Formats: sequence, structure tokens, C-alpha cells
Amino acid sequence: MRPLVLIVEDEPDMLLLLRLTLEDAGFETCLAADGETALRRIDAERPDVVLLDLMLPVLDGWGVLAELATRPAGPPVVICSATDGRRERTRAAELGAVAFVSKPFEVEDLIRVLRGSLGGPRVPRPARAPALPDVLLDRGRLGLA
Amino acid sequence: MDRTEISERIRREARVAGLRDARTPSLEAVERRRMQLWILTVILVVALSSGAVVLSMWPGRAPDLASPAVLRLGIVLLSLAFCGYAIEKELHLRRLTRLLTDEQVLNAALANRLHEVSLLLEAGKAMNSVLDLDAVLGVILRGSLQLLGARAGALSLLEGEELVAAAAMGDGVAPGQRLRLGEGTAGTVALTREPLLAEGEDGPGTELCVPLLHRDELLGVLEVRAERRGAFGEYDLRALATFAEQAAAAIANARLYEAERSHVAELLELDRMKSEFLALVTHELRTPLTTILAAAETARRPAVREQGATDELLGIIVERSKRLAAMVEDLLAAARCERMERPTALAEVDLGVLARLAVRDFGISGRAVELEAPQHAPVFGDPLLLRRILDNLLDNAHKYGAPPVRLVVEPRGDRILLSVLDAGAGVPEEARERIFERFARLDDHRSKPGLGLGLPIVRGLAEACGGRVWVEEAPGGGAAFRVDLPAARVPARGAV
Repeated sequence: MRPLVLIVEDEPDMLLLLRLTLEDAGFETCLAADGETALRRIDAERPDVVLLDLMLPVLDGWGVLAELATRPAGPPVVICSATDGRRERTRAAELGAVAFVSKPFEVEDLIRVLRGSLGGPRVPRPARAPALPDVLLDRGRLGLA
Repeated sequence: MDRTEISERIRREARVAGLRDARTPSLEAVERRRMQLWILTVILVVALSSGAVVLSMWPGRAPDLASPAVLRLGIVLLSLAFCGYAIEKELHLRRLTRLLTDEQVLNAALANRLHEVSLLLEAGKAMNSVLDLDAVLGVILRGSLQLLGARAGALSLLEGEELVAAAAMGDGVAPGQRLRLGEGTAGTVALTREPLLAEGEDGPGTELCVPLLHRDELLGVLEVRAERRGAFGEYDLRALATFAEQAAAAIANARLYEAERSHVAELLELDRMKSEFLALVTHELRTPLTTILAAAETARRPAVREQGATDELLGIIVERSKRLAAMVEDLLAAARCERMERPTALAEVDLGVLARLAVRDFGISGRAVELEAPQHAPVFGDPLLLRRILDNLLDNAHKYGAPPVRLVVEPRGDRILLSVLDAGAGVPEEARERIFERFARLDDHRSKPGLGLGLPIVRGLAEACGGRVWVEEAPGGGAAFRVDLPAARVPARGAV
């Protein structure tokens, strides 16, 4: 079975391009353009990993992370955002995100991070988790520049 | 073009640009996999059936197609095929459901983005279709509220060190309300120039506040409020910030247009004043010239010569010619001032001596001037220019003011203040700057002779000597013309 990725992103062009790229890389994909839809699809589709943007309408990425943090089991979450300060990284790690990819990014890196986050057990949340490693990906390679 | 038309056009163009076609490969891939699965199943079933048939026809065995073993095999194969079909159908349905949901998600995201873009476009068009600043501010505020579905907000413009609410809707801020930089949400944003999402600071609601920046210059602040906590998120803040970029450009345009319009009005006014001045000059030069011509013609008549009236006529001609010469001199001086020609060298001049000479000359011509001046009042300047300043101011006081006319020279540290005071009606406050401009004569002085160049010349000459001239109300009424000049050296205490 191909692993299922839920792509949460508000830009329609970015959604489509991520879907094409990840399907080429051997993932199944499903899409959400706002936080509320993301939560509904996590319940309905049970994705193997969630690729989450932070700036979203209706319910933003932080809201999704906070909601998932209250659940006993959920999919691993990889943050993919253009806002990537140290504070954001620490906060994302505290809320249980397994990786932080800053935009713009390299496609290979994104795929590597997604593969790496599969299968592993959900990271237990310590009170103060170290900041997540920075993975730089190239938006230009996706043809989005 | 109304909004639905714009939205429709954007949708059409997005389709043409191929944005939506990107989904097709995904559907095709599912269909392709489904076909492959089916072909595989058919091949498997055919292979197994043919295997069974071949096996049953093997030599040494009687062909018995009705044997229970073959029947069982057939039933098992059929069941397997049916199960395969059912499972595949289920998986396919699931994929289709997922794709359908994906499609809805994409549509919603696209519609959302199109809504934002069309609002931005519409607001941009509205902002650029009006040039009146107040109208632009109204369009911006309404557009921002529409963008975020809010009902209350305000647009404040930066005036010096304060924010002044120029447009407001809903409760909270009244138009004209002033806020210092750093005060409240808007003041903070004006200081940091960063968009801000504030919750529960000034009340129970949520507030979005973004700076209006045009080419790194802060023009003002745009804020939108909602009564509910959590009504806005960072997403809305970003949308408002994008909107604010366009809004700032529109405000800058409207301001540029207003500046241009007032500049044109100024030029038109100057043009009108120049035309009036030309008419005045023509009239003023023609009056003495007419007298001179008439006097000369008369003097040529033998009867007049015999009566011995020639001397009187010559006197008139000389006097009028002097007036003409003085006027031409005025015109030249004014032209020199306009070209900002400075005297070649400033020397130490005793203003006390110059003042006494001027008062004496005015006394000779029957125009009395009272003098208050120290024995010596050395200034830096050109004696000819300074004398001309004195003459013009004293002449002005006699012509437009009323006696007694007083000339006062007061040393004040490293400056010397020269004052000409009269007891006339004074100069109305709104005209105190204008009377120093060329071509500007007060309306009630139109009947008096002169080109109206006296005071502009005084200003030009005073500035050439490093001084400054202005008019104020004299103590006890009347006008007080003051000239502030640099002293040549600080006079000793008690020298006055």
C-alpha cells in the first residue's frame, strides 16, 4: 500500500503541485485547504502523515496541532511554513510536530522528511522539546518561483 | 463591471491558465490502475480455467468435465473472481470519494482565493477611479471591512507625531480622534510598522491593525475590529496587509493629485497677477508720459512762449520724467531681486548715519519722520541697498499709512532691528505675508499711484544683506515694518 499524506495548504496552486510531486514520489494524497477540513479528513481518511501549513483560514495550523495534541493517537505531523522563527519551531515541537520544513523548500528534502516520519511511533511530548532541525527546500524546483 | 462579472472572468481565466487541469493526471492514474487490476484478474481466471481444462484432458485420463473436482474448482474460481471484483470496487469507490472530497477542497480553496483577489481587484479599481483623498479613504475602509466580513474599523493618517482618524465605521473610533505614536494598538503599529493581531487588550474583541506604507514612508494605519474573540487569525492579518499595500499606493496617488491641483491653482493665480501687473505698469508709465508729451506740445506753441510759461512746463516735464525714471529703476531692482543677485561685497555701514540722512531728505520733501536711533549702529550691508530699504519703507508709510511716521533703530546683541512705524490703519493679518509678494497690492490701494514693487524690493534687498523683513501691528495701532539686520560688531553696554 502506498502511504497516504494529507496535504494542508491554503494556496490552490501549491496544493496541486504538492499533490503531483508527492504522487510521483509514491505517496497517495488527500487535500485540505483549511484547519477544520484537515481535522475532518484526518478522522475520515486516517492518513499516515500530515503535511501542515501554519497560516490557514478558519482554523490555523496551531489550532490543528493543539487539537491533535489532545488525542491519544494521531498521525505524525510535519510542519511546512514560511514563518520559521525559533519561537515557531519550539512551539511546534512542544505541540508534537515531528519535523519543521521552511518554505521555500527542496522537493527531495520534503520527500525524505515525509518518508522518515512514517511508521515511527508518535513522539511523546516533553514539556520542553528541542527546536526541530531546519530543512531548507527549494520552492523554485517545484516551479513555483 | 460588477463583482459577479469580475469573479466569473477570473474563474474563466484561471481555467484557461490551466490551474485546474493539474488534477487530471490524478484521476487518470486511478483509472489506469483499475484497468491494470482488471486485466490481471481476467488473465488469472483464464489461465486457471485453461489449466484445469488442460489438466483434465491429460492422456490416460478420461475427459470428464462433469466430475465433481472440476466443478468445485470452477466454483472456487468464480467466488475468487467475485471477491476480487467486490474488493476492487470498494477500493475504487473509496479512492473516488477521496478524489471527490479533494475536488471540493480545491474548489473551496480556489473560490476563497478568487473571492479575495476579486475583492482586492475591485477595491483597487475603486481606489484608483477616484482621486479625491476623502473618497479614496472611504473606499479603502469599506473595502477592508468587506474583505474580512467586519463592520467596525478606522483609517488613521499620520500628521506629525500623531495619528488622526480620517475615516471610521462602527463603534470605537470617532473621525478626527487623535492618537500619539506608541499609544494603543494603532499607535504601536505606527511605531513598529508591523501588522498586529490584538486580542482583548482594549476590550473583549479582536483587532487587526496594519501599517499603510508607501515606499518606506508611513502614511497611516488601517484597523479592523470584531466584537468576538478569535474572529480573526493570522491568515486574515496577511490578507489585510496585502490590501494595505494597494491602499497606501492609492492614498499616495490621491495626495499627489491634490498637490498637483493646488500647484496648478497657484500657477494660474500667479499668471493672473502677472497680467494685472502688466496692465498696471502700462497704466503707470503712460500717465506721466502723457503729461510730458502734452507739456512739450504746449511749450512749442508760440503763444505760450510769448507768455513766458515755458519754464513752468519744463518743470512739469522734469518732475514727471524723474517719476518715470524712478519707476524704471524700481522695475530693474525688482528684476534683480528675482534673479537673486547679491551685492558683490558687504561692508560695514553705519545705519545711524544712513537713517539721519534719509530723515533729512524726507523732511526736505515735506514728509516728516521722527527718528529714534543711536549715534552709531554699524551693520554689514551695502550702503546703496540699505538706503533704498529706508526710502521704500518711509515712502510706503507716508503713502499707505498716516503720520506721525517714526523710524527706530535698536541694536539687539549681534543684530540690529530697524522699524518704520505709522499711525494708519495697519495691515490686516491675512495680508501680512502677501504684501511682500510681487504683483500683489491690496485692493483698497488700487487707486494710489505706484507699481506695488516697493515692499518686494525691500524684502529682496534685506535678504541680500543677510536680513529679514516682516510687518506687525505697531504699539498703539498702525503698521510696524521691521527689518532685522546682522550687526557689524557688538556695541558696548550703554552705547545707545
